[in-house]
Parts: sequence; C-alpha cells; structure tokens
Amino acid sequence: MIEVRDLRKVYGPKTVVDGVSFSVEPGEIFGILGPNGAGKTTTVECIGGLRQRDGGSITVAGMDPAREGRAFREALGIQLQESRLPDKQTVGEALQLYSSFYEKPRDWRELLDRLGLGTQEKTYFAKLSGGQKQRLSVALALIGNPQVAILDELTTGLDPAARREVWSLLADLKGTGVTLLLVSHFMEEAERLCDRVAVIDGGKVIATDTPEGLAAGAQGEQRMSFIPSAPLDLAALQQLPDVHGVSTSGDRVVVSGSDNVASAVIIALHGNGITAQKLRVDQPNLDDAFVQLTREAEEDSAMTRAGGSR
Amino acid sequence: MSATSMMIKTESKLMLRNPGVVLWTAILPVVAAIVLGAIPGTRNPTDDLGGASFFGVYQPVLVLFAICMLAVQALPDVLTRYRELGVLKRLRTTPASPGLLLVAQLALIFSVSVVCMLLMVVLPTFFGAPWPENVPAFLVSYVLAAWAMLGLGMVIASLFRNAKVAAGFGTVLFFVLQFFAGLWVPRPTMPGWMRTISNLTPTGAAQQALADAAAGHWASIGYFGVLLVWGAVTSLLAVRIFKWE
Repeated sequence: MIEVRDLRKVYGPKTVVDGVSFSVEPGEIFGILGPNGAGKTTTVECIGGLRQRDGGSITVAGMDPAREGRAFREALGIQLQESRLPDKQTVGEALQLYSSFYEKPRDWRELLDRLGLGTQEKTYFAKLSGGQKQRLSVALALIGNPQVAILDELTTGLDPAARREVWSLLADLKGTGVTLLLVSHFMEEAERLCDRVAVIDGGKVIATDTPEGLAAGAQGEQRMSFIPSAPLDLAALQQLPDVHGVSTSGDRVVVSGSDNVASAVIIALHGNGITAQKLRVDQPNLDDAFVQLTREAEEDSAMTRAGGSR
Repeated sequence: MSATSMMIKTESKLMLRNPGVVLWTAILPVVAAIVLGAIPGTRNPTDDLGGASFFGVYQPVLVLFAICMLAVQALPDVLTRYRELGVLKRLRTTPASPGLLLVAQLALIFSVSVVCMLLMVVLPTFFGAPWPENVPAFLVSYVLAAWAMLGLGMVIASLFRNAKVAAGFGTVLFFVLQFFAGLWVPRPTMPGWMRTISNLTPTGAAQQALADAAAGHWASIGYFGVLLVWGAVTSLLAVRIFKWE
C-alpha cells in the first residue's frame, strides 16, 4: 500500500532523510519511531506529497506523491503535527466543510459518534479538550474515506488519560481496512497499536520489525527484584549460572541476568527455605530496544566522523 | 453543497462570530458619511477646496477608509492567523485547494466593503446629500480601488508570517494610505509636490476618480492607470510570494 525506496531529502548542506526504505501492507498499522529530529516528519511529509523529495521513489496506493493530483488526495488522509482550527469553528461545521472536499466522504455524523464526539457537535474548537481536538483531527484525516491515513505525533502533549482515549480509538480502526502510518516517539504507543515499526535515526532506518521482535532483539537483561523473607547470601546468588549481577537497594535485592534468571533464583531461594516477597520481573521492552538501537546508531556515526577526520 | 459555497458559508459564519473588526470598520465611516451629508453647509462649493464641496471631497475619503481598513488590516489578520494555525497546510492535504480559502476570504471582504460603500452613498441622501452624478464612473473607480487595496492586503499576508507583525504593518500602511487619500489634508489643498505623490498612490488616485465621478465626470485616464498598475502588480507579487505554511 505504501512503498518507500531510498528516500532522500536535503535541506541546504544537511541531509535530513538519507536513504529511507520500507513498505506497508494494506490494512496494516505501521509505526515510524525515532528520536526528535530523526527525520520522521520530513519522511511522512514526502510520502504525503507536501514536500518534494530529492531522491528515491515513493508509491502510495499505486500513485506517486510527487505527481499528486486529486485522486491522490482522495486516497490519502493526513493528520499533521500541531495543526489547529479556527477557535470559533464548531466540530460539526469543520466535519461538514471537510467532507464537502471529497467525492465519496464518510457520513460525518457516524464518524462523529464513532470518535466519541457526538455530544460535541456544536462545541467550538477552542472549547474542546486536548484529547477531543486530536480525535477531531483524526476524524478530519478519515472523513474522505481514505485508503491510507498518516497520523503524525498524534498524542504528543496529551495527558495520559487523553492519550489512552486516542489509542482506544485507533485500536478500533484496526480491521476497518484503512492502512495507518503512525509517527511517534512514544514506545508504549507503538507497542500497543502497531503491527510493525520502523525505527529511524539520523535520517536512516536502523531497524524494521514487529514491536515484540524489536524488544526481543534488544540485548537487554531481565531484571528481577524482591524482598527476601530471611537474610540471604548474596555471594552464593552471584554464583548461579544465569545471574550476571546482584545488588541491593534498601530491603530489596536486585538481580539481573539472562532469560532464565527469575526461575533460577526462585529455585535457589526455595532450596534455602527463603521466599521472594513483593517480586517484580521486568522484561526488556521496546523502550530498551529503542534506546539501544539509537545509541548504537549514534556511536556508529561518531566513529564514521572520527574516521573521516583522520 | 459544493466545496466553494461550503467554504464561503463557513467563513461567513466565522466572520459573524468575530464581528469586532467588521463592525468597527463599517460603523465609523458610515456614521461619519451620514453626519457629513446631513450638514447643509458641506454641500456648497468652497474656494478653499478649489471649487469642490466638503462632502464631495470627504465622501470618497470615507468610502476608501472602509475598504482600506478591511483590505490592509482585516484580510491579512485572518490569513496570517490561518497560516499560524496550520489551517492552510491542512487544506493542502485535501482534494480542495487552499486557494479556495483565499478566494472565500477575498469574496467575503469585498462583499462587506461593497455593502459599506452602498450605505455611505445611499444613507446620506436621506438627509439631503446628493447622489454621485456619474454612477458607472463611481462604480468602476470603486472596483479598481478595491482591487488595488485587496492586492496590498494580500502582499502583507504574504510578507509576514506573524499575525501580530502583519497587523502592525497593516495599521501603519492604513494611516499612510489615508493620509494620501486626504483624510487630514484634503487633496485640493495639498502642496503641488505632495499632490503629485498622492496621485501615484492607490488611495490618492482612487479619491480623485471617485470625487470626479461624484461630480459627474470620468477622471482622466491616468488615475485609472495608477489603480490598474497597483492592482496588477500587488496581485502578481502576492501570488508569487504567498506561502501556505
């Protein structure tokens, strides 16, 4: 549905997007993750035909955004980062206005109800909460019944409750057939919603996988912590084959190690008649994978720079 | 409903919800025109004004006051604000052109200014003021003047990204334009060199064209030429430099 090959975009001396490639299947929710300034927005603005690319090829629903015409705009809905409406425009008016731009728009009232804005039809934009504004923004991106929708930094600046509100809405959209391209720097968002993600840093794709696949690939350690029911020989714990490190933090004992560390420690404790109270086990998650990936990318480019200056 | 009519309808509603600028623009000159027309003395030819009457000189100035305020203050204010909000960029993502919004705003501002002009011409006649003697010349002069003013407003909206800066610049330009229209020093009493400059400004040329039409004749072709050049140059410039984001 979306095919990006070797996309390049240069601003003056700076290469902002440097050979980005990925493809998105129909009906998929695809995430583009990356730290601020990684080139995410520039990438999706090229895909959306809002910027001219300097190299590579892009196909969206069989069309080239660089030669965008009416058919392209009908097929693609875009929610832009930090895009607002006039203060005194009501929710209903905005949806009616935007639906008049399309050949076969969705029923705006149905969309309104679906996005939980049914009771806000006559509310001015300025009076909406942050979450409601973002949901309206999603509604405007979907009003034309697009095959593909791009949503850029949808939940940035929202409080946790509003963020969850928007997430549940997007989860509902799954299975309606629309292909979603989601730009985010929230790992939790990608973990909950995306079928696959591409991590972009320094204008390059540094990884593409499912969120679980990326998390599993991270060489993060399992970390467990607990309060032992009786004094514990920490040195003996350290000797266990799966354990990499043991430390204490107040009453708690913190053990890190490979995948089996939790069961190994519990068995060892059990053998000594000790139980692990208030046990916590943390899996390496997408956050860890993300930090690790972007740090590696940074080190690589630092090495390249050092090598180049010699 | 078509996208164009929907856009005009929406923009009219929004304008009605922020009536401040439009009311202020309309009420002041309209009331001034009525008061001026109601005083019998203003209709007599005056030697100080080169044989013209006070009403004959000032009615065009007031008509220009309204269109000038709407075009160089209200219009750039709305457009720069829309750009700041990202409304223009959002429109680019739809099959509709963001140009549609500009067309809707221009049509709306022009309509309001035409209503103001009609009020300023018609209402004073109830109090004894004369009608413009050459109506076609008056209307042609008015349309050309409006074109030049709206062109200037579009250039301001193109030059400035920040709504506050655009508003500040619009205010300064408004006073300069009103000065050359003769709001403080009526054009017939301007010194020769100042009048030459005034003749080349859109408001100066427009005042002459409107005053001549009110007195019954077409102004000399040069004044229309000045208005045409201002209208064409500002429009082309605005089209070239206008940015959607």
